[in-house]
Amino acid sequence: MAHIHKSNWELIKNGIFAENTIFRMAISLCPSIAVTNSLKNGFFMGVSVIFVQVMVNLTVSLIRNFVNPKIRIPIFMMVIAGYVSIIDMTMAAWARPVYKQIGLYIQLIVAFASIFARAEVFAVKNKVVSSVCDGVGMGIGFLLAMIIISFFRELFGKGALWGFPIVSGNPLLIMVLPAGGFFAVGLLMGFFNWVDMKLAERKAATETTE
Amino acid sequence: MSLEDVHCKTEFSKGDAGAKMTAKDMLKITVNLVVIYIIGGLILALVYATTSPIMFKKGEEEKQAALKTMMPEADTISAIYQITDDSIKSVRNEGVPDDVITQLKNLSKEWFIGKDKFLGFLQEKIGTEKSNQYESIFLKSFKISDWYPHKKHAEYYVAQKCAEVKVKKTTDEKTGEVKEEKECIGPQDIGYIAEGFGKGYSSYINLLVSVDKDFTVKKISILHHAETPGLGDEIEKDYFLKRFENKSVDNLVVVKGETKDKVEAISGATISSRAVTEDAVRNGVKMLKEKLSGGVKDGSHS
Repeated sequence: MAHIHKSNWELIKNGIFAENTIFRMAISLCPSIAVTNSLKNGFFMGVSVIFVQVMVNLTVSLIRNFVNPKIRIPIFMMVIAGYVSIIDMTMAAWARPVYKQIGLYIQLIVAFASIFARAEVFAVKNKVVSSVCDGVGMGIGFLLAMIIISFFRELFGKGALWGFPIVSGNPLLIMVLPAGGFFAVGLLMGFFNWVDMKLAERKAATETTE
Repeated sequence: MSLEDVHCKTEFSKGDAGAKMTAKDMLKITVNLVVIYIIGGLILALVYATTSPIMFKKGEEEKQAALKTMMPEADTISAIYQITDDSIKSVRNEGVPDDVITQLKNLSKEWFIGKDKFLGFLQEKIGTEKSNQYESIFLKSFKISDWYPHKKHAEYYVAQKCAEVKVKKTTDEKTGEVKEEKECIGPQDIGYIAEGFGKGYSSYINLLVSVDKDFTVKKISILHHAETPGLGDEIEKDYFLKRFENKSVDNLVVVKGETKDKVEAISGATISSRAVTEDAVRNGVKMLKEKLSGGVKDGSHS
């Protein structure tokens, strides 16, 4: 695997930019549409994902030498579902105010492709520290994507941010409905591709002038 | 080349590893899987065992706190107690001695609103010592304001307003502490509160609903649910809960689109809206109406 030669910092950056879960890999698109109709929802979902992603990567990497490759899939499932349940129960008991805010999001994470994908593609083949860094990067990348998508959806759909009204006038209701999620994700993905192309062009141009 | 040949070839190249797998390998894999699952299961069981009592306690505290907000004008919100033949049996199973049981059997079968009143009655009839000794068993067994929507335990309460609240101040001679005891004179039922459960999209929605004496809805408070964030969790919001105000049982119907006398569904969350309206709230109000219609008659409780 090419990842092995990357430094930890490069691994984190990789998750945020080059292999961004939503805008680059296009996995876990379901939450990027279902829970991004307000900035608050998007933010809490992202934070929850960082936590679960890091813990799952850490555990899978720790037990990778004890798991027979033939049964890795059910083991990953258990690790993910187990962490989600543990976090859910612990928060319900000891962090009641936080639980009220993000309890709903935590439970949804069981079914996220992005968590599973990183366990399968990265954590099971790499050392613990690298896996944790990969988890941090992927999680932050996911969080940023969620924040960007929900920022635009709430701003255009409700004229508000984090529940506080910002713009008065008639908002575009479609932006907070599921259809708006597709528009937002599609347009933003297109925008980032365009930025990528421009950057590549500029790089090519500077190289030729040299 | 026939189709069968192609099939055989692909089968061979794909199943290379599988063909070599011996019984020993299979056993190894099975043991591997079982061991890891048992460890995972044990960890989960441990976490559950430590957190669930705290979770339950916190949930109960939140319910009590929510209960106080359901009818701000009420002075007391109380459960209903009654001595019935069935509950006497369960008291006996809890280990209360026979002489107390015989005393209980002779007592009247009237209703008592509020545990203080009920305990006062017991103290008077069977003696302070005995009633204090078995207080927790009595309160648990003789409470009749329980019901079971979706086979889950839920409670209902009577909200009362006092014509006059007398505050008795007693000073503890040893410690010098001043204790305040409130006595309610001339209590009047002003409404009822029920806890309810509704089957939503991805969870049971647990809520409290308060009604006035005519059984029109006053207030709703969602205690717990796990509906989809961004869609179903809108049921917690005030704008939706306001739609229930002053609705009678017949009007607790979900309608898509604007409505004046019915309940408008949340767009994108019809199932959750239905669960709250037609399952939890409507059944709760219906139950209250059935059990308490005409009020808990004055005179049937002291």
